[in-house]
Amino acid sequence: MIAQNFIKDLTKIVGKENILADLKDLIAYSYDATMRQEMPDVIVFPHSTEHISAIMKLAHQGKIPVVPRGAGTNLSGGTIPLKGGIIIEISRMDRILEINTANRRAVVEPGVVNLDLQNALAPLGYFYPPDPASQKSSTMGGNIGENAGGPMCLRYGVTSKYVCGMEIVLADGEVINIGDYVEDFPGYDLRGLFIGSEGMLGMATKLTLHIIPKPEASQTMLAIFDRLEDTSQAVSDIIGAGIVPGAIELLDQKMCQVIEQSVSAGYPTDAAGMLLIEVAGLADTIEKQVQEISQFCQKNKVRELRIAQTNAERDALWKGRRGAFGSVARICPPYIVCDGTVPRNKLPEALHKVGEIAEKYKVLIVNVAHAGDGNLHPLILFDATNPEEHKAAKKASEDILDTCIAMGGTISGEHGIGLEKIDAMHSMFDPADIAAMRKVKHVFDPNDIFNPGKMFPPETEVPRPVKERTAQR
Amino acid sequence: MTNTVSPEKQAFYQKLGEIAGAKNVRTGEKATTPYMIDGFTPQAIVFPTSTEQVASIIKAANESRKTLIPWGGGSKQQIGPCLEAVDTVVCLKNMNRVVELEAGNFTVQVQAGMVNGELQKQLAKTNLSFPLEPFYAESSTIGGEIATNASGPGRIMYGATRDLILGVTVVTPTGDIIHTGGKTMKNVAGFDLCRMYIGSWGTLGVITEAVLRLFPLPEVSTGLYITFTSPEDAFRLVGQLLNSPLTPTAIELVDSVAGHNVADAIGSSLNDDEVLLIVNSEGTKGDVARHRKDIVSLAEANKAKSTLTLEDEKASHAWKTYRGVHKAMLGADSSTLQGKASVPISKLGDMFQQLKKISDSHGVQTGMTAHCGNGILYTYLTDKPEKLVNITGVLKNAAAGLGGFFLVESAPLSIRKEVAVLPPRNDYQLMRRLKTEFDPKKILNPGRLVGGSF
Repeated sequence: MIAQNFIKDLTKIVGKENILADLKDLIAYSYDATMRQEMPDVIVFPHSTEHISAIMKLAHQGKIPVVPRGAGTNLSGGTIPLKGGIIIEISRMDRILEINTANRRAVVEPGVVNLDLQNALAPLGYFYPPDPASQKSSTMGGNIGENAGGPMCLRYGVTSKYVCGMEIVLADGEVINIGDYVEDFPGYDLRGLFIGSEGMLGMATKLTLHIIPKPEASQTMLAIFDRLEDTSQAVSDIIGAGIVPGAIELLDQKMCQVIEQSVSAGYPTDAAGMLLIEVAGLADTIEKQVQEISQFCQKNKVRELRIAQTNAERDALWKGRRGAFGSVARICPPYIVCDGTVPRNKLPEALHKVGEIAEKYKVLIVNVAHAGDGNLHPLILFDATNPEEHKAAKKASEDILDTCIAMGGTISGEHGIGLEKIDAMHSMFDPADIAAMRKVKHVFDPNDIFNPGKMFPPETEVPRPVKERTAQR
Repeated sequence: MTNTVSPEKQAFYQKLGEIAGAKNVRTGEKATTPYMIDGFTPQAIVFPTSTEQVASIIKAANESRKTLIPWGGGSKQQIGPCLEAVDTVVCLKNMNRVVELEAGNFTVQVQAGMVNGELQKQLAKTNLSFPLEPFYAESSTIGGEIATNASGPGRIMYGATRDLILGVTVVTPTGDIIHTGGKTMKNVAGFDLCRMYIGSWGTLGVITEAVLRLFPLPEVSTGLYITFTSPEDAFRLVGQLLNSPLTPTAIELVDSVAGHNVADAIGSSLNDDEVLLIVNSEGTKGDVARHRKDIVSLAEANKAKSTLTLEDEKASHAWKTYRGVHKAMLGADSSTLQGKASVPISKLGDMFQQLKKISDSHGVQTGMTAHCGNGILYTYLTDKPEKLVNITGVLKNAAAGLGGFFLVESAPLSIRKEVAVLPPRNDYQLMRRLKTEFDPKKILNPGRLVGGSF
């Protein structure tokens, strides 16, 4: 618990209208999509880099934990203030400072919402490719903290590819610039290191982003299958042929049913699996891409192929996908979302194994996947009042991650480690790997002020002798 | 430099032999002179054959406090801030195998000493390519390219090194073997140490293996060679091209000084002040045809003097000649300084003009090439060292005035010792703390990149 006069000092910096410390507010900021909950002591809403720097100087003096927070849509416990302290909420730093299409750059404050940036770019014929499903509310600062992905990352790559430079505030309040507006800056890629660091290395206060022209033409396809195996094999075949659509999303039958209950997306509810495919390219050649993709779907016994004819139809199809997690939460709020990722050609095998795991633990798993990237999102549903079921769900999620590792994959494709996957870190990494990460943490934040207790398993814990190590090991 | 070796030192070299096998350790002037670097002649060259051997070598060096210089193809050893000490070169050229090709996942895992050109040959057999082609791809190793963040013209389409490397295995400066990244397209488990190692110039560890992203070889590719009497017209075309939905795989520009070989290769010529713009496109027949059509009309609209479309062998011959420009410019005169300017993409034309003006007013001969889609310009300046030292100061200010920077890449040792080769930044201190944390005894490449004293 931090002292009252500390809150007074914070008030001097940001003004009382930018501070929350009532119990109801502290509760509102105590959780995310994971099942954990811890209370902060205070929430501050800075308006500038100077505010954040001053707050950090105070926190540094008092060695008080600080958790940076965007919209709080994170899925792995990233914003949960495990050790209390200050939450710095960036939503009031939401200005777009520059859009320069000739330089292919946008400069924004971290509180800018992803979709707001997209909406500002669209009239200019440009876009910022990373499009997490949460883009309606998630902030650019948060996207960078977690190295967010999204459906279109199949063709264009994830957040890390599109961040050129950042102004950041370090744990002692010092303000520095990492990366650059221009390319090939000299020295270590601290920018690369910072992206996806889950709020543990510092706080980004200004972001220089890479933007690109929108594709000339795009089409949204829906492919409906009677067997899940065929659905995933079609993905493997398309990717294996070297075709790179904008996005290929896979949804299984239960997922479609759940989505249709809350959003009328136009998904089939009686099919074992469906693919939502966005094709992007030049107007002259997009038809050929659509045909090639159709052929691979037909080869895998597709029941029905649909192409969205109107913008409304297309928007509905995508709205369903983007609302997937929300739809599940409506029917069953407690669920575990896995984020395991496998090599692209291993998707069919991985989905098959997820099915086996569901049977083994007798849990309900619904599947949605960024299929083209091999990024699975099995959602394991359970009854929170039934401890046995909760335990089974946890076991199943561990099994899924171990399965992904054994297939040469990873425990997280885009959601991060946070609190949720700390236990899996030892399955994925050797002690020396984690020691190297700790060194980075120590250089940036020697007093462990930023988001303490995340990502690293306790040092005393003995690594599980898991894993059929992949060839890289 | 004397070559007397103390008994204690002798013990270290003996240890190297025990680790890597005596035949893989070379000492003596004849063996070590080719590895002379920044004025230092190393005492020994060791050729490890496995990651474990590299780890043992680094551990031994920590015990005996010997400085190690990781070495791939050696093509970039003369670049950047000078080394402070050199004891033993760790050359990875014997670690040159493909570990695992996973065509279905479009990845390949290779040992770091694999030469890029050799890898491409092997990949082509399965209709795949690794779209990174830095200046010396025929001789540079994958590990060296990753360590130096080398990239080439294809970056406009495929991204730079950091977008093409999914994971690296590294031996840290204290001898620990670590694995970063992996072989999935997306991976956010833990800190992104893979990106930290890309461009770390062997100062934070020795890269021993890497997982690379592959792409299918395109159905067709084409190169357009467009000559302009005025650079302004060329840069206007670039702006229009970048603002279009077209996705060329290279937009390169070369001036008349650097470009005469290329002009020869396409049976053309470049008058003084003329520039040649090269636009490559690849993909399906339909995509490439559309690119050709649109770019030709852009060239016409921007008063191009001539436009030549090359395909197949003619295209690859011309492209090879262009890619040889760097070597030719540096090889022609050992007193040449090669600098690199990076400016906002739309300011590249301004940087080009200013460079020309400044070098004219200093009476320094200058040749230039540029990655137009990335705002990067390479310049080759040839003159007496004093004059080159002078002009770099002016160029730094010019680039900074445009919102970018200018840095000295390769130059005669006397110049590199005299000028600050890196532009000012406010994150060097943090970088140096990173170096100290990972390499407290300054074993790996001391002085290189940010490891030096400044």
